[in-house]
Amino acid sequence: MNKILIILTFMSSVFSQTGFEIATMVDEKPTPMDMSNKTKMILTNSKGKSRSNAMISKSIDGNKKQLIWFLEPKDDKGVAFLKIEHDDKDDEMRMWLPAFKKVRRISSKKKGDSFMGSDLSYEDLSSRNLDENDYNRLDDEIVEGKDCYVLEITPGKEANSSYSKHVSWIEKSSLVGVKEESYDKRGRLKKVKEFTFQILKDYHVIKRVFVKDVQKTHSTEVTFSDVQVDSGIDKNLFQEKNLKRLPRD
Amino acid sequence: MKKLICFVFPITTLLGQINYTGSIKPGNMYRLSDQSEISLPFRLGEQEVGYSLGDFEIKTNSALEYRWSNNENEFQLREAYLMWYPSWGEVKVGKQIHAWGAVDGNNPTDNLNPYDYYYMFLPGAERKVGTVSGSLKYYWNDWQFEGVFIPEHEGNRFPFGETAFPLDFPMSAPKLMDEEPGSEFGFRLQSTLGSSDFSISYFDGRDRSFSKVGITDSIPSFFYRNTSVLGFDLVSFIGDFTNRFEIGYFSTENNAESNMKTLNDASYIQFTGQVEYSTENDIMFSLQIIGSQISEINGTMTKDEFQPGMGTPFASFTDLGLSFSLSANYLDDALELMGNTFIDLKDSQSMLGVSAKYSPMDNWKLNLSISKFMGEEGTQFHNMEDFSHLKVGLEYHF
Repeated sequence: MNKILIILTFMSSVFSQTGFEIATMVDEKPTPMDMSNKTKMILTNSKGKSRSNAMISKSIDGNKKQLIWFLEPKDDKGVAFLKIEHDDKDDEMRMWLPAFKKVRRISSKKKGDSFMGSDLSYEDLSSRNLDENDYNRLDDEIVEGKDCYVLEITPGKEANSSYSKHVSWIEKSSLVGVKEESYDKRGRLKKVKEFTFQILKDYHVIKRVFVKDVQKTHSTEVTFSDVQVDSGIDKNLFQEKNLKRLPRD
Repeated sequence: MKKLICFVFPITTLLGQINYTGSIKPGNMYRLSDQSEISLPFRLGEQEVGYSLGDFEIKTNSALEYRWSNNENEFQLREAYLMWYPSWGEVKVGKQIHAWGAVDGNNPTDNLNPYDYYYMFLPGAERKVGTVSGSLKYYWNDWQFEGVFIPEHEGNRFPFGETAFPLDFPMSAPKLMDEEPGSEFGFRLQSTLGSSDFSISYFDGRDRSFSKVGITDSIPSFFYRNTSVLGFDLVSFIGDFTNRFEIGYFSTENNAESNMKTLNDASYIQFTGQVEYSTENDIMFSLQIIGSQISEINGTMTKDEFQPGMGTPFASFTDLGLSFSLSANYLDDALELMGNTFIDLKDSQSMLGVSAKYSPMDNWKLNLSISKFMGEEGTQFHNMEDFSHLKVGLEYHF
């Protein structure tokens, strides 16, 4: 009996994957060449009062290049945001402000700043670089009936993160994240995020994100509609000039 | 043939897309000294309509200017232009407002459009007058080249005869010396170096403000001088600070024909430096230093008498000033609080402003702001002390 236990323990340590290996599998999962969608963002405060934003988003290279045009609230209609992530230098973020007739370069260093007053920060919207984080595998768990890997992700110094760590639940069968907890620099729980995916052209494509800032007791629900993948978005779209052009509804 | 036209028209209309936004903004201003109404016109309603079809777009921006005291109203077509977006850039032709420069307001290099002095205290394009012009922008990797051509000069809109207006303007426009018909042009080259954006620009045109240039038949003569501006601007990021800088070198020449010229030519520099920082609580701080220096003046006019006719309007108030502002949003962005101050570092004068915008429901806003001007006798802000005011307003956006 003891021999069997020893063999099982040995086998599991040899064949179980490390946190980094799981993160690599998630990172290497095929993603669409491009994606476009209509996004609705509902912000709800601690008193249950809600307000909403609507926008159109187009992205390529796994969200490394993204254009967002704001449609609502009405006084923000026409404001647009361009993000280009670089591997070898700081990311570029620019906003078109119609009231000023100007494309304004904004800092990409303050990744913790809120995106349009929501509970999502610019960092939450950016892709995570695999090599800039440490991954520690925790005990597997079942979340909403889904068998999940659980990873503790600690951003390295080069990630310039506003978080001290994340705990991510990744569904084993699909390798998509279903839930994540993010902790502030003091190690206190800051945000709980829940993700829902849909399958489009064999890709797992995000359908809904729910983020709760537990410190502010404030939440943001983001839903994606009219989602299109691999529709052949031209890479030349991601230029300043296109910030000024609202795409067709 | 008529049938074909009728058939084609609705199809092209369907293929294109109409975008519109607008707002209705009733409001009023009251003096802090005696709570009396300040009777100045304001934009009661604004509407922007755009129609896009393929790589072409037509945009119009119109406003209804209104004055409470005598129900005076005037429709203004502020912009109406055609845009074409070829693969290499953008082309715009028509009545339009341009914006150059890196700093937020007080731009020395942004001289393509005249200012509307009735709206001098509004931000961005709100205070500019659209002019008929053509512009071309060419994108090539990290480089952008922009050229602008303005066929006919247009000066600032001044509030002549407005007793309620704080700045000292005559009751009627002074007779200007005959203007030479002439066009204006400018170009701007922008690029990225590391994490910084920079640009150089050049503009050749006529002053936006007229100035006294001589005496003809014992009467002071006024004229829009010929002025060229060489500009440079920069945006860079150091740590969590965003830095913006802009400088313009102005070379102005008096080519008016008067019996006795008080000015032949002059050159001056204007600059604005800006540092921004936002805290963990999303409070945004912005500090600007605005400076102006006359480097050369030829004529009988002294440096004290010389008035710049272009550049940042603050340069006509002071040679060196400091502007500080902070803004924060609360109640889920429903409440926006702002504070700003301008301090003249040369003369004893300053301005203080606080404002609150509250949105009780989507698309509606209530505005409240207080502006206070203070200054020693002889300063511009001393003359504006009675203009210190409370402004209340309502906004509905559609």
